[in-house]
Amino acid sequence: MEERLYDLIFILRPDTPEPEIDKVIATIEHATTEKGAKVEKTDKWGRRRMAYRVQRLREGFYVYMVIRSSNGDVVKELERRLKVADPVMKYLTVRLDEELKRQEKLKKHRERRAARRPRKTVPGAATPAAPTGGPERATATS
Amino acid sequence: MAEEHAPQQPAPVAASSVPAAPSGPPAGAPSGPSGPSGPPRFGGPGGPRPQGGRPGGPAKRGKRNFVRKKKVCRFCVDKADFIDYKRAEILAPFIQERGKILPRRMTGTCARHQRWLTVAIKRAQNIALLPFAAEL
Repeated sequence: MEERLYDLIFILRPDTPEPEIDKVIATIEHATTEKGAKVEKTDKWGRRRMAYRVQRLREGFYVYMVIRSSNGDVVKELERRLKVADPVMKYLTVRLDEELKRQEKLKKHRERRAARRPRKTVPGAATPAAPTGGPERATATS
Repeated sequence: MAEEHAPQQPAPVAASSVPAAPSGPPAGAPSGPSGPSGPPRFGGPGGPRPQGGRPGGPAKRGKRNFVRKKKVCRFCVDKADFIDYKRAEILAPFIQERGKILPRRMTGTCARHQRWLTVAIKRAQNIALLPFAAEL
């Protein structure tokens, strides 16, 4: 099975002490590697104001991770653990590899088109437009 | 009708031939009243229009101000191939204060980018980066 890339964001209660935060992250990372997946990136965004109240709280501690896996069960397991973990208020897993693939494709496409464009369209579009306006005006006034 | 029509024709022609180059706005002024006075529909397709086009030039420019400025898709300008749901600050201009996603006709976003945008906004909402609805 091909490898898939997931974004995993979870929000911890803002009053969670720092060691506890690290503990949650460590368990998640451990669970990922145990299931044969890779943690590509772990990023603590820190305390942030949330757009709406969750569990009557306005702030949360955001943690962002990127996980590469060839097995969908990893996500299931991680979500289960996040659900169980007490300080976790909210989590979101998003599969991103397909969108990134599309991005690559479009990028390549644009580069190819940009390489082709200067010869074809620019002389054709720019030159006739200006002269046509000129002659008409000249004949009409004379 | 025909008699009315006939005198109209020479007037704009004369106006255009004499002051065409030196003063545009004065030429446009006389041609203006002549048009609306009679039935403009008859005068339009006839001779005077193309010739009166030059005096009409400034008037046209005036009209153009009423034409709505064309909105351009912001993501196309940036050449975005991917709209990141994690960056709430770039998504925020596309939602209403109440939290609704703005329609394409308001923002000028192209169809493709609007499609991506809605997905990104909905993801951001789920992780409390953007509101579902205004609070209180």
